[in-house]
Parts: sequence; structure tokens; C-alpha cells
Amino acid sequence: MNTFLYLTRRVLQAIAVILIVTVATFCLLHALPGGPARGILGPQATAQQIAQFNHQQSLDKPLPVQYAAYLGRLLHGDLGTSYTLNEPVSQLIRERLPKTLVLTVLSAVVGLVLAIPLGMWQAVRRNKPIDYVITTLSFVAYSTPVYFLGLMLVLVFSHILPWFPAQAPQGDSLAQVFADPAALVLPVVAGAASVVAVFSRYMRGATLENLSEDYVRTARAGGSRRGAILRRHVFRNSLTPVVAMLGYYVPVLFGGALVVEQLFNYPGMGLLFWTAAQSSDYPVLLGCVLVISVATVVGTLLADVVQRFIDPRVKEGRA
Amino acid sequence: MTATDRTAGAAGTEPILRLEDLGVTFSSETGEVPAVRGVGLHVRPGETLALVGESGSGKSTVALAAIGLLPDNARATGRAVLDGTEVVGAPENELASLRGRTASMVFQEPATALDPLTRIGAQIAEVIRNHRRVPARQAEALAVDLLRRVGIPEPERRVRAFPFELSGGQRQRVVIAMAIANDPALLIADEPTTALDVTVQAEILDLLRKLAVDTGTGVLLVTHNMGVVADFADRVAVMLHGEIVETGPVEEVLLRPRHEYTKRLLAAVPRLAVAPTGTGGDTAAGPVGDVAEPAAPRPKYGVRARTAKPAEGGAAAAEPVVDLRDVSVVFGRRLAAVRALDGVSLHVSPGETVGLVGESGSGKSTAARVALGLLRPTSGSVTLFGADLRRSRPRARRALRAGIGVVLQDPVASLDARMTVQECVAEPLRVHRRGMSGRERQERVAELLERVRLPRAFARRAPRELSGGQRQRVSLARALALAPKLLVADEPTSALDVSVQEAVLEVITELQEELGFACLFVSHDLAVVQHFAERVVVMRAGRVEEQGGTMETLLHPGTDYTRRLLAAVPVPDPVLQRERRTARLAAGAAGVDA
Amino acid sequence: MSAVLRPGRLPGGSGPTDGADAATGTGVSALRLAVRRFTRNRLAVVGLAVVVLFFLFCFVGPLLYSTDQTHTALTQANLGPGGAHLLGTDAVGHDELGRLMYGGKVSLVVGLAAGILATVIGTLWGATAGYAGGWVDAVMMRVVDAGIAIPALFILLVISAISTPGVWGLIVILGLVSWLVPSRLVRAETLTLKNRDYVHTLRAIGGTHSRAIGRHILPNSVSTIVVAATFQVADAILLVAYVSYLGLGLQPPRTDWGGMLSAGLTATYSGRWWLIVPPGLAVILVVCAFNAIGDGLRDAFDVRGRG
Repeated sequence: MNTFLYLTRRVLQAIAVILIVTVATFCLLHALPGGPARGILGPQATAQQIAQFNHQQSLDKPLPVQYAAYLGRLLHGDLGTSYTLNEPVSQLIRERLPKTLVLTVLSAVVGLVLAIPLGMWQAVRRNKPIDYVITTLSFVAYSTPVYFLGLMLVLVFSHILPWFPAQAPQGDSLAQVFADPAALVLPVVAGAASVVAVFSRYMRGATLENLSEDYVRTARAGGSRRGAILRRHVFRNSLTPVVAMLGYYVPVLFGGALVVEQLFNYPGMGLLFWTAAQSSDYPVLLGCVLVISVATVVGTLLADVVQRFIDPRVKEGRA
Repeated sequence: MTATDRTAGAAGTEPILRLEDLGVTFSSETGEVPAVRGVGLHVRPGETLALVGESGSGKSTVALAAIGLLPDNARATGRAVLDGTEVVGAPENELASLRGRTASMVFQEPATALDPLTRIGAQIAEVIRNHRRVPARQAEALAVDLLRRVGIPEPERRVRAFPFELSGGQRQRVVIAMAIANDPALLIADEPTTALDVTVQAEILDLLRKLAVDTGTGVLLVTHNMGVVADFADRVAVMLHGEIVETGPVEEVLLRPRHEYTKRLLAAVPRLAVAPTGTGGDTAAGPVGDVAEPAAPRPKYGVRARTAKPAEGGAAAAEPVVDLRDVSVVFGRRLAAVRALDGVSLHVSPGETVGLVGESGSGKSTAARVALGLLRPTSGSVTLFGADLRRSRPRARRALRAGIGVVLQDPVASLDARMTVQECVAEPLRVHRRGMSGRERQERVAELLERVRLPRAFARRAPRELSGGQRQRVSLARALALAPKLLVADEPTSALDVSVQEAVLEVITELQEELGFACLFVSHDLAVVQHFAERVVVMRAGRVEEQGGTMETLLHPGTDYTRRLLAAVPVPDPVLQRERRTARLAAGAAGVDA
Repeated sequence: MSAVLRPGRLPGGSGPTDGADAATGTGVSALRLAVRRFTRNRLAVVGLAVVVLFFLFCFVGPLLYSTDQTHTALTQANLGPGGAHLLGTDAVGHDELGRLMYGGKVSLVVGLAAGILATVIGTLWGATAGYAGGWVDAVMMRVVDAGIAIPALFILLVISAISTPGVWGLIVILGLVSWLVPSRLVRAETLTLKNRDYVHTLRAIGGTHSRAIGRHILPNSVSTIVVAATFQVADAILLVAYVSYLGLGLQPPRTDWGGMLSAGLTATYSGRWWLIVPPGLAVILVVCAFNAIGDGLRDAFDVRGRG
């Protein structure tokens, strides 16, 4: 019963958040110079076309009515049409999103697989020299602009040492993407670097906190060795807050994907967004923002649900 | 078989724990702190040694040192021999094989003692498999057995439960199960019942005693509670500032103490006056005058101590300062609703002290918050100084509040660490007496500090520099700043040592005599309430169980619950406590879900 | 990359296990204790030194090593390091070292201002939500959730498609994009403080809300806010480095480190490393330094928190 209530509340919260995002994009649409008409039709549109468009789209009606219409369109999956590519935005996104997801999921997975053990290890070796070294490296990785990191990676591992290609796999289908794994290496490393930096610090902190908890003392009093305690008890307890944070990290991952895709010329949603920005293709821009925001909200929701199942204590939701 | 007999019988056998000249030093940010010095004691198989002291005495440190669980920033010197093995300086591997097998430990806080994400059966099995080659399935079966031994009902089902599904008492039972899993020769219990309600405490102590007797396990019991000592121990060692000042058989030390400190400590413990066993609170038959009544013992604190006024609220004619009528408080909605208070009615007349007692979850703190106006009741009325809070306008409400003084439980959180004592105490003046000048405020604060027996110079200090007892007195000074007509004190001395508690209660008594304010005193400690309050209200599960004059109610309780509550409180007299325990066990059903 | 997360850390080793009722006062004030803890954190101290050095470099440097950053000198273009130009020159002849100082001024000032602006907005929003509670809190936090859901880089790119802001505009935009994280932190802190006994006592005797907030909650939140501000400055400087790359950059000849980086990107493959390595290193060092300081401050003040 409690689970049901909790889920309902979280889903309602998520819907509220998504609605707020649609309001934000709607406002942006109307904040564009020349109004949404110019936004849709492009900078080349004539005054007459704009007037006609305005009338067709009922842009002369009051804002709330327009918003309702906008919302209606969204619910039908109509995100508008890109005028540079002359295709419906939803279709463009549908083509490109899976590739971006491959990149972000891979980066996240690689990052976490490295970060979690690293963080735990650091906690155990707290304040020893190796801890300082890894902490410093984490700070550096975190503080480096992704495009700079990407550039350095390409320079070193592609130009100076011809190990990996400088371009990510091209091609439209996922099969083609996976056909050239070597080309995925540098983009994934670039994307994973900040994940490793942030989550290793996070895991380190959570592990340290858990190491000073009472249950560790109880286990020691029962004769358990430190290694076993770490594996059996501390690990799982430290994981809970980390999982919670994953949901909130999704937008950061997408932001990174934006830069990485541009740098490595990877035909995903990030590159789509980038090119759209260069040509002021507003429907694409706003459509992408909306999709990513929804993805983040869903991601956070999933993370919360997963956390609830990992940690049976989480009965109350957080406001 | 008395305690002395058991000790005598065990004499001559090699002790399982022997400490010789044990010292422990901590290195902290502010320097080196010697916590324990030159401690020597021993525990023989089958006997229980109680290690008593107030906070800072080093008793917990000694317990941890005996089992090699001192924190990393601690250094031990001297000898600690556990069943022939030297613990001080031993490598971790050796210690790990001792812990859970030769010696095991039970800690104070059951709420955090277990891994929240692992089932309790698995945690017990872990201890078993640490020391015995036993397949997982068998270990789980053994765990079920252990749960049964420690009195957890339906052990086959509960073995798969998570810690949060159990109550505090049950969790402590699980920790005990883990401790006895491998039949240790020594059981170390560090304040095992301090965090539990008094009825649960009695059950857990019964359990520990039974287990120790059944298996001949030696017990090192660390506690600050003299009643628990009288209930459980064979021998006692008293610690002060890291050293042992007195040791001996329990009857000797508790009834005929020799060291000054022990005498002072015992004198400071408020003793619960009890009807002698046999006459205990029978409501039904028997006119009271029949049996030889114990003379109503002289209360230690409270107005009655000074003026020997009759116990009943003779001044009931005057309008009560605070009056709760049929108050209910419901938290949450529909399915998740919790009735914290259910139809509670109580009042405090001018100048009188009312004790509000109950166990955790009884609603006593909630009732106090309603009386303070911090919580709005879902139904019922609250009248403060004659005015219904609900009907008053905010400004009038605020003015009414000037007549209240508040002292809460936690000495650390009750004062804002960023303000000096002067600023803390002067705050009520700033809220209600805007016209006062800085100098006038300073004068008033100095006056108040003197009243609570603190030097004027403390005004310039920060709360951090004061001890817990001093901080509570500053809280008290603040509460009195506006010469209130009602003091609401929610467990004001529960977090303090017994000797400090004595000082604070004496101060409150003096002030009450001088200033004549009424007092609503919330506490879980029946002995303190008995000495301090004129009337007592016993609460349970959000309802008022019974209320009446203190001596009347506590010597001749009207309800079964109150009777059980009183029977469960251990008194610091070993002989008397043994009698009471026998009577309690005979009278009650076997303790089930704690 | 705008930071949403930073790991929390826990305070150092424990003292004697018997809760000491005895006075702990050794005359050491809380502030002095914090300073002591901070100075013991080597990374933090190094970070502080680095920040101070860079400020000197950018603001005092040009007085000692003056170069012309406004006019082009195409005859001097694309020279390698050495001789009159210690770090070489860029594509239009500006001295690279001088440009580093010049650009640094913008990066540092914009970063500092945007970080502080973000913290101020976030503090007000979070404290209000935390103190008010109820549906006000719920609504305000949903707005924050929505803001976090939209990646900052995406928004910045959209804005770049609309207009090109000047320095002040940039500060405002960056501030508006980053205030979300501090708001959550301050809200959490406010919730904790709201439930402290001394606040309850104050309310019980008739103290007003404004007194509770002004005298108790805000002063006790200072350490959290300071730590948050430091991290926000770090993030803002990093964000500034992205901004030119995204096309929101300043018009030449004005520039910042990010602008130097993006201008120099095309030069990478032709071997003109002096155009990208110095600004890249500068960004990394300064952002790292601010992060290290924030980390050190958090430990020194014993602040728990994510972000």
C-alpha cells in the first residue's frame, strides 16, 4: 500500500515538473525575436507569411489558450518541423536519440564501474599519499572543460599515438555504431572522465560515513574482518545515496554529450542540437530541450524507484 | 542464591578477563586526552561485574579496550588479558578471532546497531560463520534458534525481517542473539538498556541474567544507572575521571559505600519510594489502613520538600494556568494517520508542579508542545492563562506567551552556539521588552545567572565552553527572564549525569519557591517525578492512563499499566530489588514483544 | 560542466566514547578551530595560493608586462614562444601571455560575480522554501527540479542562438542558470535549523518568524552558504570557459580564457600549442583551486552536503 502511495506521489511530482518545463519552453518560444512565427518559419520569412502563420496558429489568441494548444500538440508528439532539414522534429529526435543514449549510457557505465571501487578504495586509504593523488586527479578531471579534454585525447591518442580514430562512428543505425568499437573509445572516455571524478568522490564520502556507523562496530564485535565488512555491509549502504544522485546527473551527461558529439562528429542528438543552434532552427532546439528534460525527470524517477527497492527503509518520499 | 554466594563460589577460578594497570589515551585535535589510568579489575566465569560511573569516567573506554575495539586515535597501555590472550597490542587477526567467540559485546543504541540493508537472520548467521565452519542453511537454522532463545516471537518468520521492522527492544534482543551465538565466555554490555523504555529495560535485563545463569557466562556490565546495578550485578567497580575509586560486592558498595564519591553518587540518585511488596497497589479489596503503611518518604525536591504542603491540589479553586480539554492530535492523513494524542485532558494550577510521565510513544512530549502552543490540536481546546489559544489573535497570543518559560531536553541544541550566554538569556527580553536598554538587559541577565547559581562572568562565554549541566541552567535562566507563571520543562535533566541532575533540580526547586511559578515537568524517570511533582499524569499510547496526587498515584497505582511501570523501575538497593524482581516476574506474564 | 554533485564528507576522528559532560572549552573559538582545520588541508592551502597568484597575475601582471590587446599586428602573427613574446602570438598578432592576463580578468570577474549571484538567488529561494514548508515548499522545489532537468549547456546554446550578451548580460545569464543547486543545499540546511530546539523555544515564548530567520537560521547557515558560494564560483569559471565555445562569447578584441581556447582550437593540429595549452591550463588550475578551497572549507566548517 505504501509503495503504491509513494509511486503515485512521485509520478505526480514528475508530471508537475514536466509541465513546468513545457511552460519554460513555451515562454522561450515566445521570447524569440520576432515571436514564434519567426521561430518556426525562419529569419527569411516575409511579413505576410508571418501574419498568415500567426492567424493559422491562432497566435492572436490569448497566451493561456495558446499554451493549451501547445500542450495539446506536445501530447500528440508534434514537436514542430525543422525548417533547415524539413523534417518533423520528433522524427529527427527519434533517429538521433538512440545514438546519444548509447554514448551517455556507455560513459555512465564505464564511469561508474571505475568510480565506485575507486571511491571505496580511497576511503579505506584515507589521507594516505595515494588518496591525495587520486583526489587531485579527480579535481583536475572535474575542472577540465570537456572539449579541452577531448582535444587532448585526440591529440595524444589519435595524432601522436595512432591508437584510436579521431572521429566517432558515423552511420545511422545502431548496428553501424557498434561495428566500429575502437572509434567509440575516445568519446566515451571523454564523457566518462567527469563521471569518474564526481562519483568516486561521492563514493568515498559515503563510504567514509558508513565506516563510522554503529553497525560496523557491531560487526567487528562479532569477529568479522574489515574486508568482509566492507564488502557485505558498507558497500551496499554507501551505494544508496550514489544511486540517488545518478538521477540528477542525467542532464550533466547530456550536456557532456552535446560537446563530445560535436567534437567527435558523432551523429547523435547533441550534434543535431549544435547544428540547429548554428542555424537558429528553433523548433529543433526547443524540441530537444523538452525531450532531454523529460528524460531527466524520468531518470530521476527511476533512480528513486530503484533506490526504494534497494533500500527497504525508504518509505517516505522527499519533497 | 544471593549474589555474595555466587561470587564466593566462583572465587578461586581463573578470571576470564583481567585488566592490570590499563591506560588509554586519545589524540584529538586539541591535544592528547588521557581517558583511563591505572585501571585494574577482573571478571570470573559466571559472575557479573558492573562498571559504574558518570559520563567522562572512562567506563565505556575500558569496555572497548577489553575487546580491542578502541577507535584508531586511541592508544592503550598496560595489560588486558582475555581468557589467557593479551589484548593490548595484539594484531587485528588475533583479536578478530576472539571477538564473537570468546568475548562479545552489546552496545547502547539498538536503533543503529544493525546493518539496515541486511536481514537479521543473515547478520546473526554472519557471526556464527565467522567462527565455525557451518553451511549457510544450517547457520540460518541456528539463527532461528537463537532468536527463540532471546524471546523473539515467531522466529521462523522474523529471521527474514529487516531491522527497521523491529522495535528498539527487539533489535536489542537481536544484538544479544548475535553476542551469544558462539557461547562466549565473557559478555560485555555497554549501557545495554539506556536507550530503552523502562518496561523494556526490565525485560532485557531479565533476558541477560537468564542467559548468563544458563551458560555460566561472565558479564562486564557498563552502566550509570544504580538501579540496574542493584538488579543485575554481583560485584561493582566505581569509576571517576578514568580511575577506579571503589570495588566490592554489590551489597557492600551500594548499601555501605566507603569512598566519598560513591557516597555522593548514591545520595544523588532519586529513589523511587515503593509500596512494600505484598501490598503493591491492590485496587480492589483491603482497606488501606490495614497493612503497615510505609511512611510517605520525604521528597528530595519540589515545593513539597520545603513546605511539606499536603500532596493534593488544594489550590484547585484558582483558574489553571494551562488547561487541555479533550485534545487530540493526528499526524498525517487517512491511511498514514497517526494519533499522537487521543482525547487528552490535563491542567496545571498556579504554583503547582505537574509531572507528565510515560514511555516513548506515549505522547507526553506532544502534549507538552500543545500546551506550549507549538502544535495545534486537531480537536479539543487549549487554554493558556485563561485564554483559548485558538480564539486569540496573533498579537494577543504572543503576549500570552510571555508568561511561559521553556526548558528542553538536549543541552547542546537548546542554545544557539553562535550566541553568547548573555545573548541567549536576554533573547526573551528582546522579544517582549523592547524598551529595555542594553545596560538594563545586562543587569537582568547577571541577576538571572546568579539565581541559577552560575557566576556572572559566564555571560561572556559561548555555550560551547560550558558543560551540559551548566547549559541547562542557562536555559533555565533564559526561561525565567520574563518572570513566567508557567515553566514547561521537557525532560530537562534526562541527558545529564545524576549528580548534575541533582544540582539542576535543586535550583528549579529553589526558584519555584521564590517565584511561585507553576511547572509542567515531562519525564520518563518516575523516581525524579515522584520527588519533584505534586501531581502526576501517566500517559500511554496517546491517552491519559491515570492522574492524581503523586504519592497517592505512585504508591497505590490505579491501573495495571502504572503498576507494571512502577514495578519495572529498578531501585539501587540490591536486597529490595531482588524482592521486587521476584514479585514482578511472578505477577507478570512472560515478556513478549518488547 | 555545471556541477550538480559534489560528494559529502564526514568530519574527522572521534574523541573519547563517553560523551563528555565536562566543559570542552580550551579557549579555542569555533572560527580558530575552523582555520586550523583548513590550514591542515594541504590541497586547500595550495588552492588558495593558486587563486591569489592568478589574481595577481591577471590584475597586477599587465602593469609589469604591458602588451597591446586591442590593436592587431598582423606582421607579428603566429609567432612561437620566445624573444619578445614569451608565449608567442595569436592569429592576429596579440601577445599570448598578455592575452592570458587580459582574458583572465574577464574569466575571473565574470566567474566570481556569476557564482555569487547564483548563490544569492539560490539562498533566498531555498531559505524561503525551507522555512515556509507545506505547499509553498513543494511548488518552489518543483520549479527547481524543472530547472535542474534542463541541461545548462543546452540553455546557453539556445540563448546564443537568440542574442549575444555583453559582460553584464553574461553574468546575469550564468547566474540564472546556476542558482538551482545552492537553493537545494540552503533549503536542506534551513529545514534542519528550523527544527533546532532553540528555534522551538523562541517560537514558544512568542518570537516572530523574522526573528527566528534573522537571528538564528541565517547566521547558522553562513558556513553552508560560504561553501556553496565557493563551489559556485568554481563552476561559473568553468562555465565561462564553455561559453565562447558555444558561441556566446564576447566580441573580439575582448576575450576570456574560454574564448582563447575556442579561437585556438583550429590551431591545434597545426602544432601551435601555445595558443591552447596556456589558457587550458589556466582554466583547469583556477577551477581546481576553487574546488579544493571549497572542499577544505566544507571540512573545516564541518558542513555536510552534496553539491
